[in-house]
Amino acid sequence: MLEIKDLHASVDGTPILKGISLTIGDGEIHAIMGPNGSGKSTLSNVLAGRENYMITKGSIIYKGKDLTELSIEERASAGIFLAFQYPTEIPGVTTMTFLKTAVNAQRKARGEDELDAVKFLKLVREKAKELKVEEDMLKRPLNVGFSGGEKKRAETLQMSLLQPSLAVLDETDSGLDIDALKIVADGVNRMRAPDRSMIVITHYQRLLDYIVPDHVHVLAKGKIIRSGGKALAAELEASGYTDLTESAA
Amino acid sequence: MSDQALTYLDANSVATEGPAWLDVRRKAAHASFADAGFPHRRVEAWRYTDLSRLMAKTDWHPAAPHDGAVLVPEGRSNPFSSIASHKLVFVNGFFRQDLSELDGLPEGVEILPLETALERGTKFESAFDANGPEAMAPIAALNTACARDGAVIRLNEGITLEQPVQLIHYTPDGGATVAHTRNVIELGSGASMTLLEAQIGWGGAYLVDRVTNLNLGERASLTHVRLEDEDTDAVHLSTVLGDVASNASYKANTLALGGRAGRLQSALHFTGEGAHAESNTAYLLRETQHLDSTIVVDHAVPGCTSGALAKGVLDDEAIGVFQGKVIVAPHAQKSDAKQMSNALLLSRDAAMNAKPELEIYADDVQCAHGSTIGELDGDALFYLRSRGIEEQTARQMLISAFLGDVLEQISHEVARDALTERATQWFEVKKEGEV
Repeated sequence: MLEIKDLHASVDGTPILKGISLTIGDGEIHAIMGPNGSGKSTLSNVLAGRENYMITKGSIIYKGKDLTELSIEERASAGIFLAFQYPTEIPGVTTMTFLKTAVNAQRKARGEDELDAVKFLKLVREKAKELKVEEDMLKRPLNVGFSGGEKKRAETLQMSLLQPSLAVLDETDSGLDIDALKIVADGVNRMRAPDRSMIVITHYQRLLDYIVPDHVHVLAKGKIIRSGGKALAAELEASGYTDLTESAA
Repeated sequence: MSDQALTYLDANSVATEGPAWLDVRRKAAHASFADAGFPHRRVEAWRYTDLSRLMAKTDWHPAAPHDGAVLVPEGRSNPFSSIASHKLVFVNGFFRQDLSELDGLPEGVEILPLETALERGTKFESAFDANGPEAMAPIAALNTACARDGAVIRLNEGITLEQPVQLIHYTPDGGATVAHTRNVIELGSGASMTLLEAQIGWGGAYLVDRVTNLNLGERASLTHVRLEDEDTDAVHLSTVLGDVASNASYKANTLALGGRAGRLQSALHFTGEGAHAESNTAYLLRETQHLDSTIVVDHAVPGCTSGALAKGVLDDEAIGVFQGKVIVAPHAQKSDAKQMSNALLLSRDAAMNAKPELEIYADDVQCAHGSTIGELDGDALFYLRSRGIEEQTARQMLISAFLGDVLEQISHEVARDALTERATQWFEVKKEGEV
């Protein structure tokens, strides 16, 4: 699915990622953990193609193709989805209008027929119900005045409508209480599939109790300093990041 | 005395051979404008829009009547054409009976060209005496001296006009021509109507100057929806001078797209308590277009509310101007006035000038004004694109959302959709141009 080799990246001229290599197979869930400032969010933004994030060295191959040659929207239509840590508020654009535009833009880019209003509404209602997203929320401007839980449920709703091949969940647990976390995690787990991979970025082990990863990587100072199975997350929870990051330095 | 003004008046003023009451006013206006001249940048209220310079070095002369078919370019047609209405159509400033629809007017309703009303002996003394505040008086004088026709709309007390009234001005011909028109709109107590106005031109270099005198009686209500879509070589002036009586309401929403340079100015004056007036403008400019949106609201009596919102999208080297002034008289307690200008700059070479002014002499009032100038939100753009929405579409969504505060407020649904559609076309032109 995804092969990252010796990736170096800078944000506004400051080097943040300093040689990341990571291979993610079809259907796998990889957790990336690490302290604040380790480069976790930079990695997710680089994958999504954000413009001020410059790749200075290395490669990202997605489904056999060079991902870095694709624009932001081409990556999305090719199946990459970034669930934002802080979803952007967009006044004046209702959630429903946005969802329909996004779904149909991707369908069009892939050469599929666009969904008509009736089919789309049916699809949204079905998915919204699973995620306990109220109809009223869909009529409101996108993310504007949404609570932390509502924002993350809206992100998960987008993911379930867009059906990505590679989902990158950036600190999806931040700002969520345990009930909201369960709803979101259930939504994510429903989407696990042999042809869908996920990168779950988190500071805390808590999320990984609900979204159980196949592999865990520890990111510190722009490098992966340790990789292992799901037990690594529990180990980190007990010992903290300090020991690891110090030994890396 | 201004030579520029004299030359202009010699070529374009109307011969004083009308009714005596009007001749007196035309002569006075002629003298007043000859003295003041075209406002220029050293006049504070015109510092951002130098009309004298815009009018210079051109041999301006009156437009000629345009008979026969009016071939409106594709995409520029009357946006309100599908709405059943009473309709007055002017071409090059001349009334066109054959294009207008004035049959079946209900009793108590008068809708006709000014020229006809004058022939019938109707007097409009107070309308022609209302020159507005200092910022607008020179234009009112110019218009009085030069306007030969326009629209008259009068509703008797208590009349609710079911169908909107359309006032459509086409300017198909140019070549340094000018058309001055004067509209008089009077609503008796408790009367209400919707006015749909479109000013569409493609004749090249011309000047259109329209002055509309509004007089709203007690509890009267006027909804005014406007499209300003002049040729990109044209200069346009549109002035609304309104008196709003107690508990009356005036709501204007304008979409402005055209013109080389234009000034949309409104002076709204409250004459009775509990009145409401608002004027909201959305404008989309590109290349070197210039648009000035100026409003003066005079809270002369207590307990009135007013609002002015200008939302501008400026691309290339376009220039936007917002001047908002609120005056609250010493005894006008419980006045509530809001003025806001928001500009979205799509290019580093575009410019916006915003000048809010408050003159408040009462102490128990709520007055707020603000101005923002910004670019498209990069985070929002990234967010939309990260969901597969193409950059151009994403930009368009954000700009439409920005304009929504003005366009979505239009209460007439079909008119709202029509102007929203017209704003959307503006982006599409851009797309084609960018290839």
